[in-house]
Amino acid sequence: MTDEQVLGHADECDGIEEFDNPSPTWLNLMFLGTFVYAIFYFGWWHVWGNRSQAALYDAQVAAAEAAAPPEAKVALEVTPETVAAGQKVYTANCQGCHAADLTGATGPNLVDETWIHGGALEEIQQVIANGVASKGMPGWKPIIGEAKVNQVAAFVYDRSHQP
Amino acid sequence: MTATHPEPAGNAEAQGRAPSSVAYDDWIVKAFVVATLLWGFVGMLVGIYIALELPFWPANLDSPYLTFGRLRPLHTNAVIFAFAGNVLFAGIYHSMQRLLKTRMFSDALSQIHFWGWQLIIVAAAITLPLGLSQGKEYAELIWPLDIAVAVIWVVFAVNFFGTIAIRKVKHLYVAIWFYMSMVLTIAMLHIVNNLALPATLTRSYPIYAGMTDALVQWWYGHNAVGFLLTTPFLGLMYYYVPKTANRPIFSYRLSIIHFWALVFLYIWTGPHHLLWSGLPDWVQTLGVVFSVMLWAPSWAGMLNGLLTLRGAWTRLRNDPMIKLWVVALTFYGMSTFEGPLMSIRDVNSLSHFTDWTVGHTHSGALGWVGMAAFASVYYIVPDIWKKKLYSRDLINLHFWLGTAGIVLYVVPLWVAGITQGLMWKDLDASGNLVHGAFMDTVRVLLPLYWLRLLGGLLYLGGLVVMIYNLVKTVRGEAAEPAAVPAPAK
Ligand code: HEC
Ligand code: HEM
Ligand code: HEM
Repeated sequence: MTDEQVLGHADECDGIEEFDNPSPTWLNLMFLGTFVYAIFYFGWWHVWGNRSQAALYDAQVAAAEAAAPPEAKVALEVTPETVAAGQKVYTANCQGCHAADLTGATGPNLVDETWIHGGALEEIQQVIANGVASKGMPGWKPIIGEAKVNQVAAFVYDRSHQP
Repeated sequence: MTATHPEPAGNAEAQGRAPSSVAYDDWIVKAFVVATLLWGFVGMLVGIYIALELPFWPANLDSPYLTFGRLRPLHTNAVIFAFAGNVLFAGIYHSMQRLLKTRMFSDALSQIHFWGWQLIIVAAAITLPLGLSQGKEYAELIWPLDIAVAVIWVVFAVNFFGTIAIRKVKHLYVAIWFYMSMVLTIAMLHIVNNLALPATLTRSYPIYAGMTDALVQWWYGHNAVGFLLTTPFLGLMYYYVPKTANRPIFSYRLSIIHFWALVFLYIWTGPHHLLWSGLPDWVQTLGVVFSVMLWAPSWAGMLNGLLTLRGAWTRLRNDPMIKLWVVALTFYGMSTFEGPLMSIRDVNSLSHFTDWTVGHTHSGALGWVGMAAFASVYYIVPDIWKKKLYSRDLINLHFWLGTAGIVLYVVPLWVAGITQGLMWKDLDASGNLVHGAFMDTVRVLLPLYWLRLLGGLLYLGGLVVMIYNLVKTVRGEAAEPAAVPAPAK
């Protein structure tokens, strides 16, 4: 690039001179490459690929369901196993509203004397399974399945009935 | 440092610029420079404060006015519209008068522009901590202020195009084209995105609903980045890089091609902020592919800058202003490679909602916008105050503080973003989240947040050094008229 010539309009540009070098070849190829990529990416999604966000979601859920081990039935009973498993379910799903120590936040305290829907194991299980839609307590059975509902009910019962 | 090269600043003759008989309006440039430094300091101080609040919430001092949710928009508005905005105005008023060999079209409009803009900033600094917000990112200001912004912007536009109309040269240098793209596009974006029905003096409802509102918002949001933080700064680059290095621009052709490519491609990319959302798939895809196509034109700008400096490589080691430009251009290249990458759906599903985005933001903001702003101001101040720069060693110190600050800001946030993204995606054998509690993922990030705070402190320290250096410059010796450089301190 020793024979570069300035364009010579510096007096029009406050003294700034300009060369007129060609754009580097690799940059031109890169620009072209991104156009090719763009065409293929668009086609892959919408022309021959026929992909869609909704279809991808369905496929992922189906794959996860197929891969998941069949859910073992868990009886509604308070045992060290159900309580330990229930604690995990609680941490993942409930502590945002009922607090990590179950003393309540958006949702009510679960370890005090008062129960809105009753403190028996079956009553606790029912409210968790079906929720109280009007008050903002989701029904959990369709979300986490019956086994986990039974486990977390055992956990809540266990913590709320400590001597 | 030796005295082998001329002081680039404050010395028209040394650069082959004919001494001009035009009486330029330098007061307005000085005013915008002072505002830049002042608001830059305030805006970044607020940035440091919110960077402290993230790992240490008691810093909100139990006051609603100091909560993260209110101070964050104060930070973004202050650094974008007050720091970046004012430095652009300073650079534009300084360079366009000289490029077009004429005083500004109207001194009155210049004054209205300056004072109006500062008043809006003060109003923003009051309303945002009070919690008055439209709730749209970068468009938080309430509707009366939006109207004020529109009016002041039109004042600026009239002054800007008026000056072009009365110019004394025929050719419009490429920097002016880049400025023009900002003046037109920001007006359009600001007005369209803020169309709303006022309900009370401080509250309004957007005329768009749901997904349309989101799309308009990010069409605005991305192009605020594109046409405020990118193209006009490229304009500054095209003026101050050749001036600082005293070298011809590498390629006129390249500057024209990448200008048109950038302005054409940018405007379509907004949907990359709304990937995996309810936006129709094909609109998302358009956002993806236009973002990827932006890569080469962005790098063309970086290359044109770096290759212009090519002839000054020998000065790279000892001229701190050239070093500032090299870092600015390199981070421009870095963030415009990272951006297209983050626009690809599969990458975005990891990066979105994480600190990776914030890291990307600041590699552009601190690396490109900040360093380019500093380098420009270091050129402008000695030039218009007609003083000799107080200390090049202090610029060097600023360079190192700034660069170290950027690295300490950006690298921890990459780690934080990727860590958190992977933790969110982590599922156990039966398809449950391994880290079900959001807090569990936040706790892991705390040390990284402290590092980011340290990075911010270094960066702000650099700005303080700059302000000291410039105050000393303005109070110091007058520039010598002849091209005999004094040995630097
Ligand atoms: C979105 C917030 C929210 C989440 C998440 C949530 N709850 Fe609740 N929960 C509530 C609210 C609100 C109530 C109060 C309902 C009422 O007033 O009838 C409630 C009530 C309950 C009750 C009945 C309390 C009583 O006094 O009778 C139990 C038991 C309960 N939740 C358990 C759970 C469990 C277990 C989970 C996790 C699987 C969970 N909750 C998740 C909001 C929530
Ligand atoms: C001392 C320097 C700075 C510090 C410490 C700092 C700190 C921060 C913090 C803590 C946030 C909030 C991040 C979050 O929500 O998690 C933020 C956001 C932001 N800052 Fe800064 N900042 C600094 C300088 C700047 C500058 C100079 C600019 C622009 C020119 C800038 C532009 C932004 C933007 C645009 C956002 C929003 C980012 C997003 O939504 O992803 N900052 N900053
Ligand atoms: C080719 C150029 C670029 C592309 C394609 C690009 C792309 C992106 C993408 C994909 C995101 C993340 C969106 C999300 O997941 O929510 C993003 C965020 C962001 N980028 Fe860039 N980027 C580019 C250049 C830049 C530059 C140079 C800057 C700064 C000067 C910048 C500033 C920002 C900001 C402020 C955000 C945060 C927006 C928010 O508040 O969420 N970008 N960009």
